Amino acid sequence: MSDAIADDLPSFRRELNSWLDDNEGELRLGHVGHPTLDEDLAQFTHIKRALFDAGWGRHGWPVAVGGLGGSSMLRAVVGEEIATRDLAEPGMWSMIEVLAPTVIAYGSPALIAEMIPPLLRGDETWCQGFSEPNTGSDLASLSCRATAVEGGWSVSGQKVWTSFAQFAERCVLLTRTGEPGSAHRGITALFVDVDSPGITARPIEIQNGTLEFCEVFFDDVFVPNERILGAVGQGWQVAMDVLPYERSTAFWHRGAYLHHRADQLIATVAGIAGADGAAAVDTGQARLLGEAFQAVMAFRCRSRATQHRLAGGGQLGAETSIDKILIATAEQTLFNAARDVLPGVIEFDDDAEAQRLRWEFLYSRAATIYGGTAEIQRNIVARRLLDLGSE
Amino acid sequence: MIDPDDLALLATSFAAAMSRAPGAAEADDALHDLGWGELLAHAPLQGAAAAFSALGVTGSAACLLDDVAANALGLPVSASACVVLPAPSFSRQPAERRGQSIHIDGLVSARIDRSDRAMVAVSDGSVVEVDAALLRTTDVIALDPQRPFRRLRVDVCERDVVVLARAGSWDTVILRARAAVAHQLVAASRVMLDQATQHAVDRVQFGRPIASFQAVRHRLADALVAIEGASAVTEMCAEDECDPLMATMARSLAGAAARTTAASAQQVLAGIGFTTDHPFHLSLKRTMVLDTLFGSARTLPTEIGNALLAIGGAPRLIEL
Ligand SMILES: Cc1cc2nc3c(=O)[nH]c(=O)nc-3n(C[C@H](O)[C@H](O)[C@H](O)COP(=O)(O)OP(=O)(O)OC[C@H]3O[C@@H](n4cnc5c(N)ncnc54)[C@H](O)[C@@H]3O)c2cc1C
Repeated sequence: MSDAIADDLPSFRRELNSWLDDNEGELRLGHVGHPTLDEDLAQFTHIKRALFDAGWGRHGWPVAVGGLGGSSMLRAVVGEEIATRDLAEPGMWSMIEVLAPTVIAYGSPALIAEMIPPLLRGDETWCQGFSEPNTGSDLASLSCRATAVEGGWSVSGQKVWTSFAQFAERCVLLTRTGEPGSAHRGITALFVDVDSPGITARPIEIQNGTLEFCEVFFDDVFVPNERILGAVGQGWQVAMDVLPYERSTAFWHRGAYLHHRADQLIATVAGIAGADGAAAVDTGQARLLGEAFQAVMAFRCRSRATQHRLAGGGQLGAETSIDKILIATAEQTLFNAARDVLPGVIEFDDDAEAQRLRWEFLYSRAATIYGGTAEIQRNIVARRLLDLGSE
Repeated sequence: MIDPDDLALLATSFAAAMSRAPGAAEADDALHDLGWGELLAHAPLQGAAAAFSALGVTGSAACLLDDVAANALGLPVSASACVVLPAPSFSRQPAERRGQSIHIDGLVSARIDRSDRAMVAVSDGSVVEVDAALLRTTDVIALDPQRPFRRLRVDVCERDVVVLARAGSWDTVILRARAAVAHQLVAASRVMLDQATQHAVDRVQFGRPIASFQAVRHRLADALVAIEGASAVTEMCAEDECDPLMATMARSLAGAAARTTAASAQQVLAGIGFTTDHPFHLSLKRTMVLDTLFGSARTLPTEIGNALLAIGGAPRLIEL
């Protein structure tokens, strides 16, 4: 990594924070109690627009797509400060950090010049159509079919658990273009307009009560040739490249969100202890908080090295499965601690704070499921990092 | 600030010297000949990173923690410097005044056998020097066959000690010792994981290597994840400055990683790992002993939690 970038980060952060301080009032839309998904999306769109217009949201993105250039670490810093101020729902934020770099890497220059700026500006929402009813961990088995037609492709099939599809303007879609048994060789990635005729997105309620993801049906949907990401048959590589992006700036952002929640939880417990007088916190509670924080820090230190490697031009690969396991562990350890140090709050209370904790506790159960399950990550660690050969 | 490549070279040459030395005392001497004492004075955290990683890799019983503690207290460092360490899983000073006597409850390294005097930190903040003969214990059998540390419970008379002038504080000892032991635990854990991984690939059951069984693979993967998490935090303790909380977490996570790794490696090595023909038991015992130094994987999370509650929040500690 060039020292110039690192030297610059503290002042970049300082200036960003003073801008955020100055504009705090306008940056936050109001809502009563725990926000609904619609309110989260409105807030997300609002903050993206404000950051883009002020330039902060353009740092770390290539000039060719409306960015101001510079290291990806600038993006990580922006994400971190936004998370620390609770100015954006972390799942929505990560979608951009994950999908935009992939589309930039595989889309045509004309496509990315047209499509990325509105995304960065918060004018659009995108989604990721990988999973299918019969295709979860074994992504290479996907069957949503794309057939060559005049000038492009006709897509028919179904996706599922597609986060934010009901709000999305575009979808990065994996399709089967090879023979049915062609596994990872016969997959093609398409960049699809979600308002194309033949697409139906039906929201599914998730266990925390929100309608975060959808089942999406494709019935003879036309996608022009210009919308192929990479080449025909290169879809597997596109999908595999999504992962390192997920594990760089998006993870740093999510780690910052967890750090902030740890901060709030500790302040809450310290506040209760202070109000109750001497030594209200028993050692069991202190221990749970300590374990949660050290898990958050293990991820932070690991991810810090990953961010530096990426910004220095390094390739990210299988070793980021360790980052993935560490952040999932941190998230679940933290919310497990919240459940136990604040007995009954998640289970029974109804104020905005309790609703948030309940919502987030339930969501944290997915940390070992999405983006490749905990078991799939361990398979990768065993095969690629420990050289244990095949199963 | 020493260049990371130079630091890695140092660790390699330290490890080579430790491997050549027939015993702990010879390893102590070899390290001091290589300039370990000066390195410690010049760059204490980085120096400890290099030397304690080497200890972990080689399994050497060299008594370098005495040097770390002496240096942190601003006392002279040499191959015969001996500093009494805290009682198992504690980190406060090992001694306290009780009337006319000083009650010592701690650990002492094998250096005690070759030193004339030992330095003992007392709970009132003073450091006293005691005739080593008063602290030499009769040989007892303990877990680690090389006995790098021994348990010490003794009362000495006030008139038998000399109060030393010192520059450093006990808090500095705790920070530096935790960082040092964390480096050793991480390196020793990697040794155990390597042993188990190699065995998994070589050992055939049911007509295939046991490495092909997912139950085996996931145990080893969990060990690697624990080690890498601990290692990432421990690396942050080799920088110029290190927050005490960071050193505490490094030590805590490294202890936990050693426990996870030892359990996984033991299970994967199974019968052969249960014998003294296989070297695994040495790492198991050494890491158990190390995880009693300046706290343990069991006690440290509580200390971290209490520190955070006293702050009233979760500091970032490091930035990008
Ligand atoms: C909150 C959330 C958001 C999501 N968002 C999206 C999205 O936007 N777009 C999208 O495409 N998908 C999304 N998903 C889907 C997600 O990617 C899948 O759930 C995930 O890949 C796992 O697939 P599955 O649920 O079918 O589980 P399965 O693959 O059926 O696995 C079931 C269980 O078997 C285990 N298992 C499977 N294979 C192996 C193996 N080889 N070795 C050991 N164990 C194995 C798994 O670890 C798991 O425990 C989301 C999921 C969640 C929970």
